[in-house]
Amino acid sequence: MSNTDENKKHHEEPEIDELTKDRYLGGHEYDGIRELDNKLPRWWVYLFYVTIIFAVVYLLGYHVIKSESIKKMFPSQEDEYKSEMAALDSLRNANPQATVDLETMVPLTAPADLASGQETFKKICSVCHGQQGQGLVGPNFTDQYWIHGDTITNSISIKNLFQVVTNGVIEKGMIPYKDQLSPVQRQQVLSYILTLQGTNPPNPKAPQGKKYDKFG
Amino acid sequence: MELQKFYYDNKIVKMFAYATIFWGVVGMLVGVLVALQMVLPAANFSLPFTSFGRVRPVHTNAVIFAFVGNGIFTGYYYSLQRLLKTGMASNWMTRVHFWGWQSIIVAAAISLLAGFTTGKEYAELEWPIDIAIAVIWVIFGWNMMWTILKRRVKHIYVAIWFYIATFVTVAVLHIVNSMEIPWAIFKSYPVFAGVQDALVQWWYGHNAVAFFLTTPYLGLMYYFMPKAANRPVYSYKLSILHFWALIFLYIWAGPHHLLYQALPNWAQSLGTVFSIMLIAPSWGGMINGLLTLRGAWDRVREEPVLKFFVVAVTAYGMSTFEGPMLSLKNINAISHFTNWTVAHVHIGALGWNGFLTFGMIYWLIPRIFATKLYSNKLANVHFWLGTLAILFYSLPLYWAGWTEASMWKQFNAAGELVYPNYLEIVTQIMPMYYMRLFGGLLYFAGMFILVYNIYKTVQAGSFVALEAAEAPALEKEGARQSGESFHRFIERRPVQFMILAIVAVLIGGIVEIIPTFIIKSNIPTIATVKPYTPLELQGRDIYIKEGCYVCHSQMIRPFRSETERYGEYSKAGEYVYDHPFQWGSKRIGPDLFREGVKSGPLYKPNSWHYNHFMDPQKINAQSLMPKYPWLAEKEIDIESTPRKIRVMQQLGVPYPAGYDLKATDDAKAQAETISAGLKAEGINVAASKQVIALIAYIQRLGTDVGDSKTALK
Repeated sequence: MSNTDENKKHHEEPEIDELTKDRYLGGHEYDGIRELDNKLPRWWVYLFYVTIIFAVVYLLGYHVIKSESIKKMFPSQEDEYKSEMAALDSLRNANPQATVDLETMVPLTAPADLASGQETFKKICSVCHGQQGQGLVGPNFTDQYWIHGDTITNSISIKNLFQVVTNGVIEKGMIPYKDQLSPVQRQQVLSYILTLQGTNPPNPKAPQGKKYDKFG
Repeated sequence: MELQKFYYDNKIVKMFAYATIFWGVVGMLVGVLVALQMVLPAANFSLPFTSFGRVRPVHTNAVIFAFVGNGIFTGYYYSLQRLLKTGMASNWMTRVHFWGWQSIIVAAAISLLAGFTTGKEYAELEWPIDIAIAVIWVIFGWNMMWTILKRRVKHIYVAIWFYIATFVTVAVLHIVNSMEIPWAIFKSYPVFAGVQDALVQWWYGHNAVAFFLTTPYLGLMYYFMPKAANRPVYSYKLSILHFWALIFLYIWAGPHHLLYQALPNWAQSLGTVFSIMLIAPSWGGMINGLLTLRGAWDRVREEPVLKFFVVAVTAYGMSTFEGPMLSLKNINAISHFTNWTVAHVHIGALGWNGFLTFGMIYWLIPRIFATKLYSNKLANVHFWLGTLAILFYSLPLYWAGWTEASMWKQFNAAGELVYPNYLEIVTQIMPMYYMRLFGGLLYFAGMFILVYNIYKTVQAGSFVALEAAEAPALEKEGARQSGESFHRFIERRPVQFMILAIVAVLIGGIVEIIPTFIIKSNIPTIATVKPYTPLELQGRDIYIKEGCYVCHSQMIRPFRSETERYGEYSKAGEYVYDHPFQWGSKRIGPDLFREGVKSGPLYKPNSWHYNHFMDPQKINAQSLMPKYPWLAEKEIDIESTPRKIRVMQQLGVPYPAGYDLKATDDAKAQAETISAGLKAEGINVAASKQVIALIAYIQRLGTDVGDSKTALK
C-alpha cells in the first residue's frame, strides 16, 4: 500500500484515538509514532499574543515614541541611574553628616562609639591591618611606632591619623576614606584603633616608622 | 510494492551511550569538585591545573559538550535511522564522528587544565580544537543530511526538524564566535573586542543553550516520549508553530545576558522582548510532551522512564518560564551576577538534559541488547535521588542569589552601603554552598546507580549490533500537490527545509550584530582610553589563563549600589581594546573593573596584591579564593610579546608602527619598576615572574577614564 492510499483512507474515515477520543492525522506515522489532529490550545495562542503585544509596547515605549511623559515611563539605563543618584543626593542633603572639629578632636570613649568603630574596623581596615590590628600589608596598630606622627612636636594624635584616613597615603596604598566613611565614623574607628595599643596580638608585623611616647 | 531489507546500526548508538555515561560521571565528578572548592578553598590544592578558574570550565564543557553532546548523538543515531527507515548513509562518517568527538573532549579537558583558554564562556577551547569541532560537526551533519536524503519515509518527522535546525545553527554560532587570530600553536586573540565581543559571545552562549541543550533534546523528546508511552503526539499543528517560532525567536535573545551593562539600550531591549516572546513557543514543546501522556498517566506510576521524562519536561517548562522572567530588566537587576543564575541553569541541566538523558538510556539500552532493564526498582531509586538532588541543589542557590543581591544593594539611612566589605556577603551564603554540594553529591550518587543498572542490563542481554528491518522504497513525488499544505510539502524536501531553517536563524543575529559593528554611535569613543602596555597585555593573558573571569566580573552596572561599591559605572568605550572581553557572568568575588583606580573604593597597593595572590586566606581568613603560588615562580612568556603586539595591531589596536620591536624592552622596564617597588616593601620577587605582569594589569584596570569618580560626568 502506498503512502498516498493510506492518506486517502485516513481522510475519508478519520481514525479516533480510543483513550482521548481525539482524531488521528492520516499518513502521519513515523516508526510507530502517530500524530493527533488537535488544534492549538486557545490559552497557548492567547499567551503568545500577549507576549507579542508586550514586545511591541516595550519597543515603542523605549525606542520609538519620543514624548517626555512616555520617556519617564520607559527610561534608558543612564537616565535611571541619574535619577537614582539624584535621590541619593537629596537624601544626603536632607540628612547632613554630623561634622567634627578637627582642632579639638580627641578619642571617643563611649562604648557605643567604640563598638561602631570596631564594626568599621572589621569591615574595612582589617583587610590590610589585620583582624586584631596586628598589621598585614598595612602597619601594626598595637605598637608605639607610627609612620605619620608629628615630628616637630614629637607627638602622635588622633588628628594626625584623621588626616591619613581622610586623604589617604596613596603611594603606600592607603586609600582616602572621605567618600566611604562619614567624619564621625572616621573618628569612631580611630578611637577604636587607639584602644588596640599594647594588646600584643599574635603574629604582629614588625614596627614601622618612628616610636612616639607622647600621645595628644 | 517490494520490501527492501536494511539494517539499523546499533553499534554507534551503544558507543555514544557508553560515552554519555562515562562523560556524565566525569563531568559530575568535576562538578562536585568545584562545589567543594566553594566551601573548602584548600581543595584547590594550590596547583595551577586544579584551581577553580581552570576546573570550572572543564565542568561546564564536560557536562554540556561531553555528557549532553554524546547524549544527543546517542538518541539521534537511534531515532534517525528508525524514523527514516534506513541505516546511516556512511559508516565511516559515523565512526569519524564518534572518535573525533571523543578526541575533542579529551583535548579540551587537557588544554583547559593546562590553561589554554580563549576566556569566553562555553567557547573556551582554543583555535586548533575549534577547527576540529567545525570539521567533525560538518561530518556529522553531512552524514545526517545524506541519510535523510536516502530515507524510505516520505515526510520527515518533527524530531528531525529539530535535528536539522540544531546542525545548521550550531555550525553558524561556532564558526562566528570562534573567529580568532593565533599568536601561538595553542593561543589566539578573538577578532572582536569589548562590547562587540560580548554581543557575539552571548549571541553564541545563549544559543548554545538554545541549539545544543534545547532543540536537539526537543527532538529526542519527540521521539522517545511517544515511544516510551506508546501514545500519539498531542498536536502536529502545535509542533509546526512552536518549532518555527522557537528557532526564529531564540536567536535574538542573547543580549538578555548583558542587561544594564555597556551594551546599547536598543540591543538590550531586543534581548528582553524576544525572551518574553519565547515563553509560548518553549511551552509548546512542553505541552506537546506532557499532553502526549494523556490517557497514559497510570503508566507513569509504573514506568521509571516516563517518570524521568515527566520531570525533564516539567523542568524544561520551568526553566523556559524563568529564563524570560530573568530577562526583564527589573528582575535581572537583582539576579544577574548572583547564584540565582547558577540555580536557573542547573534546573535546565540537571532536570531537563540530565533526566531526559537518563530516561532515554534506560529505555534504549535494553532494546539494543534485546532484554529488559535489570531493575526498575533501582531506576526508581535513581529517579527519586535525582529529584531530591535537584531540589537540594537549586533551592539553596536561589536563596543565596537573593541574599547576595539584597546585601549588595542594602543602604542605611545615611545613604551608605550596609555591607561595604564583600567578604561579609561571601560568608553569609556559605551554608547555601554546603547544601548545594550535598545536592550535587546526591545527583552524582544517582549516576552510579544508573551505571550499575546499565552494567547488569548489558550483562543479561545480547547485543544486536545490526538490527534487520524492511520497508518499501520511497516513491518519487515531485511538485506540491493540490490539497497538500505547504508545510507538508516542505517536510518531504529536506534540503529546502534546511535552507528555510538557516534563514530563520540568521535574521536575528544579523539585525543585532551588524549595527553594533558598523554604527559608531553604539560605542562612543573615549579619548583617554589607550591600549594596554606590553606588560599589562601579558598580565591580561595570565588573568585569562587562570580563569579569573569565572569569579570576578569587569562590569560595573549603572546602579548606585554598584558605583558606591566599585566606582563609576562601565562605559562601552572603555573596552575597545579588550580582545577578548572579560565582563564575566558571576561574581563569586567582587567586580574588578576599577580595581586600579587609586581614588576608588577598592584600590590596594601592589604589595597587597602580591600577598593576596600568594595566600588570600592570610589576608582574609574566610576568603574563597585559591592560592596562586606558581605566579611567583613561573616566568612571563616574554618572548611572545612582539607576536602579541603584532596580532593586536592586525586587530586594529593602535600601537605605533614598529612597536612590536620595542615592546619587550618596555615590558621589562615596567616589570623592573614594580619589582623594585615590592622590594621596598620587603617582598623579593624577580621582575620576570608572572605575578608582576598580573599586578601591572590589575593596577591598570579602570584607570583610563581618570582617577576621579566624576571624570565622566
